[in-house]
Amino acid sequence: IIPLLLEEPSVTKPIMADPDIDFASGDAGASLTYPMQCSALRKNGHVVLKGRPCKIVEMSTSKTGKHGHAKVHLVGIDIFTGKKNEDICPSTHNMDVPNIKRLDYQLVGVCDGYLSLMKDNGDVREDLRLPEGDLGKEIESKFEAGEEMLASFLLLLYHKHLAISVLSAMGEECAVAIKAMTSK
Amino acid sequence: MFEATQNVMLKPTESWRQALLDHRVMDLFFTEADCAEEAQPIALKEVDCAEEAQPIALKEADCAEEVTSASCQDIWLTDRQHEVTARPGEHGGGGGGEPESARPEWRLRPDHTLSSSSSSSPPRCRGHRLRTVHRKIREDSDMAQDSLQCLAQLASMHGPVFPDESAQVSYLAHLLEGLLNMINGIEIEDSEAVGIATLISNLIATFPRSVLTALPTELFSSFINCLTLLTCSFGRSAALEEVVSMACLQPRLPRRGTHPKTPCGDGSLSRVSLSTQLDKDDMVYMEAYDKLLESWLKLAQEDEHFPRGCFVEPAVQVFNSYIQCHLAAPEGTRNLTANGMASHEEEEISELQEDDRELFSDQLASVGMLGRIAAEHCIPLLTGLLEDRVTRLHGQLQRHQQHLMASTDPDSVDRKVLDDLYEDIHWLILVSGYLLADDLQGETPLIPSEVMQFSVKHSGEVDINTTLQILGSPGERATSIPGCNRTDSVIRLLSAVLRASEVESRATRASLTELLSPQMGKDIVWFLRRWARTYLLVDEKLYETISIPLSTAFGADTEGSQWIVGYLLEKVINNLSVWSSEPELANDTVELLVTLVEKRERANIVVQCENWWNLAKRFATRSPPLHLLSSPIQRTLMKALVLGGFAHMDSDTKQQYWAEVLHPLQQRFLNLINQENFAQICQEEAVKQEIVATLEALCGIAEATQIDNVASLFSFLMDFLSSCIGLMEVYQNSPETVNLIIEVFVEVAHKQICYLGETKSMRLYEVCLTLLQVYSKNNQGRKRQDVAAEEDQYQDLLLIMELLTNLLSKEFIDFSDTDEVFRGQEQSTSAARTVSAADVVLFGVNIVLPLMSQDLLKFPSLCNQYYKLITFICEIFPEKIPQLPEELFKSLMFSLELGMTSYPWMSSEVSQLCLEALSPLAEQCAKTQEKDTPLFIATRHFLKLVFDMLVLQKHNTQRTVAAGEALYTLVCLHQAEYSDLVESLLSSQRDAVIYQRLADAFSTLTANSTPPAMDRKQKNAFLRSLEEFMANVGGLLCVK
Repeated sequence: IIPLLLEEPSVTKPIMADPDIDFASGDAGASLTYPMQCSALRKNGHVVLKGRPCKIVEMSTSKTGKHGHAKVHLVGIDIFTGKKNEDICPSTHNMDVPNIKRLDYQLVGVCDGYLSLMKDNGDVREDLRLPEGDLGKEIESKFEAGEEMLASFLLLLYHKHLAISVLSAMGEECAVAIKAMTSK
Repeated sequence: MFEATQNVMLKPTESWRQALLDHRVMDLFFTEADCAEEAQPIALKEVDCAEEAQPIALKEADCAEEVTSASCQDIWLTDRQHEVTARPGEHGGGGGGEPESARPEWRLRPDHTLSSSSSSSPPRCRGHRLRTVHRKIREDSDMAQDSLQCLAQLASMHGPVFPDESAQVSYLAHLLEGLLNMINGIEIEDSEAVGIATLISNLIATFPRSVLTALPTELFSSFINCLTLLTCSFGRSAALEEVVSMACLQPRLPRRGTHPKTPCGDGSLSRVSLSTQLDKDDMVYMEAYDKLLESWLKLAQEDEHFPRGCFVEPAVQVFNSYIQCHLAAPEGTRNLTANGMASHEEEEISELQEDDRELFSDQLASVGMLGRIAAEHCIPLLTGLLEDRVTRLHGQLQRHQQHLMASTDPDSVDRKVLDDLYEDIHWLILVSGYLLADDLQGETPLIPSEVMQFSVKHSGEVDINTTLQILGSPGERATSIPGCNRTDSVIRLLSAVLRASEVESRATRASLTELLSPQMGKDIVWFLRRWARTYLLVDEKLYETISIPLSTAFGADTEGSQWIVGYLLEKVINNLSVWSSEPELANDTVELLVTLVEKRERANIVVQCENWWNLAKRFATRSPPLHLLSSPIQRTLMKALVLGGFAHMDSDTKQQYWAEVLHPLQQRFLNLINQENFAQICQEEAVKQEIVATLEALCGIAEATQIDNVASLFSFLMDFLSSCIGLMEVYQNSPETVNLIIEVFVEVAHKQICYLGETKSMRLYEVCLTLLQVYSKNNQGRKRQDVAAEEDQYQDLLLIMELLTNLLSKEFIDFSDTDEVFRGQEQSTSAARTVSAADVVLFGVNIVLPLMSQDLLKFPSLCNQYYKLITFICEIFPEKIPQLPEELFKSLMFSLELGMTSYPWMSSEVSQLCLEALSPLAEQCAKTQEKDTPLFIATRHFLKLVFDMLVLQKHNTQRTVAAGEALYTLVCLHQAEYSDLVESLLSSQRDAVIYQRLADAFSTLTANSTPPAMDRKQKNAFLRSLEEFMANVGGLLCVK
């Protein structure tokens, strides 16, 4: 199978200089987080709550007394664990916003609780755990079904493959979704 | 009792019967009868007390049924609150039980038994009797409410029941005498407040000014006196109530439970939702106060009909008491409990709670109006109080500053004194704002004539230079300027607010922002905006007389106006950097900026300020601190900057301006999306933010569209739109970005399509069509989360429907003829035109319809937008409906049926919209003359639906008009079926009387339009007959 660019068909070349880029520490030079005034955050954006990168699902303001200053009440869902975190802080405060990357890989194998993922340049990494819970099961079963398809050459015929979306933020990485892709 | 007389007319509603059988009603009736005997000598000619009591309310258990039915039916016709009319039992509570609704109309027809018996003797004595009753029963709060309800009904008596005006005058005189007697010497109970207030507001709303002025002078003035006293007293009690109810929010304090249920007896009949009722329980005086203030507004607005100056003294009193209740001790009584204890509770206030200026807008409008009437007193009063508070605030802040410098602990500051000052200033600014200016939508607000006259009257004694000096030196204490008592009071009041603003700005510069009140900041910019719209660059042509001080200070081409524009601009810029963390304050601030530039004359001065250019440059480069503003604020800021760009500048300057404002936006955007690695970096937070900021800015640019700038803005935006479609692909996993992209299209269509000529609209249609195609492709197979999901999950759907509706609106509102000079040229292109509005919209409907489901219609916003859209389509492209694919056609028809029949599950506008969609569909069928098409069959089905709706269901005037029109076209189309429907309805009637009435009614209904034909004249004749028909037999068959 020819390695294919999964994310955006129109892009010609990946521009990763270093194929062995260290994912654990994020991109070289890019900081893990950057500050932002609380009032400038927006719903559906991201923020660090209780040390965890979260997607903001609720954001409201209130004040104590009519002449008080605004406070922002944030509810976020941990992008990796799905756990809910809350925080309330003065709207003048700076909050950390995580630098989040989402990359799609082609799934080439599931083995001993680890995923084999192929980058668009053909490199394979095997350091990412199969997620727990329903998603993990779904990945496994889809992959097995895909294997059968492969056996019948259907996969080749239809150019189908499975893509795994991997989210990375604050030095943490996790597979968050699986989808079937038709490659050209 | 009613079972015995068994009047068919009373069948319609159970609550009606319940109300009649209510024991309290009976009690009152008997009490009243006793009383009537006592009062025999007064009740001279009255035929029958029970009959007389008829219109009062529903006390008449066994009276002549015809009267009951007639009057009750009449209410059905006249009252616009249809829910109420359907339940006459509730109607008794109309005055008090429906505090928000229009006052019930007691318009009786001359041919009724009642009026024929009373026309010889106008209904004069009943009121007296009831009031006597009231004295006797007022200890029982429930009964007191009932009797006050009756009185309130009596107070709204009007119509042909009065043979002439003098009868009305003597009736009113009698009513007022009784009222004054009743009130004098008693202490009003909590339970009576709303009842009495309703009585007064009903009579002021009902009786014409001429009747009020024809009253004996003494009576009128004691009434006004009494009204003044009551208003002030209710105002004070309302303030006490507020303190108590605020205390109730604190769980540790016992909740006050002594209040009776909502007064004026809407008790069990109340339709008020539980939560509001609970609120009202605690706030009876507030409600009563609201009503009385509203009555004052009505009187004050027509004060030219009354003896000159007769309201000045009352206005002073009411105004004073309002101010007093809103100021802190010692001058005021704010937050003082009944025993004089100060209470100071800090409650958590959520963003959802309305600002006082909206929450109390009615009160403030009345008080502002009274302030104008007594301008001589009120304007200087406000000025003095405000100047004093601002000076004190200044001093207090200075003390705090010294304190802070001495100690490092910021928490050591006691905010109590500051908060009291802020609250005082808050109310003083609100009242000043309402007094000095109106807030009109879409009109040029004028300086209120009372204010103008006041300024004109004193302009002789005013030293203009000192006035300007006071205006131009907001940093100094007004009283420290020599000759400060010879200034124009109106300008002085503005400069008092400017002084507050200056203290605020200086405190921010001294890093005391923490100590300031964002609420006060909001009030200041709110006031300045309201003021600027009315007074800044005052146009002398709009006024008969103009005050010299005002025109000297704020007229066009004056130094004063230039100075103040500069000052306001500086204020805006300062606020945007200091208050970026306070969304509401920042929003009020950018709105002030929009006000400054939305009028060309003001914008011309604004763009001469260097500050303006700095602001524009900083925003364009996203430099701090503007990038901290939340996105809606940035959007409005962009709007203001674009509006300012159309001010008068020489062409070089203009070019330079655009190069600094719009081009950086475009450049940055293009640089970003054309980057080779855009696909990789596009999901990065920083990139996304840049994209989102650009999209927000585009919305802001679209919002700035005006007729004279649409040409340039349209081409600028069009360049972006196709790139935006590309972004739809890139960000298909990020719904909020997708929504924002669609929103750009929605805004462009909303603001611009009405001005676009044919070629340009075509370009817009094309790009919208592409957008829809991409959207539909991306949505294929997309699984949305469960139905319990929140409404904002469907934001994209809502936006798509909005977009389609906006595109359709071109068919209704089109200003484009003027700018398309070469229509001949257009013709040739239109022959080859590729996309029409119909194509786009129908394509869109193909996307939207399958995504809509009955569950989604439970969201009101989606539901309303959806029905608005499909009704538009039926009205504009009825010929396209039969061409729809079968499934779509079916779901469209089903949607219509659902919308029509789901009231009150959906709003009544929805059912009205659906009914409006029927006529064009039926006309379409008639045009094609084809029978047995799906549409033809569907319309036949609709005929039955509409027929049943009119004849068998609860009556609703607005809906009846829409239903009537639909029915007529449907009847034209399906005459035979209509006859069948009538036949089968008649044959199901066993009661001969009803049968006859119905049969007669149906034949009269169509008498004027036989054979039915689709022309306007006949249709109107039918609609008129329908009105009669509904009056006659409407509700007869209505089964609950």
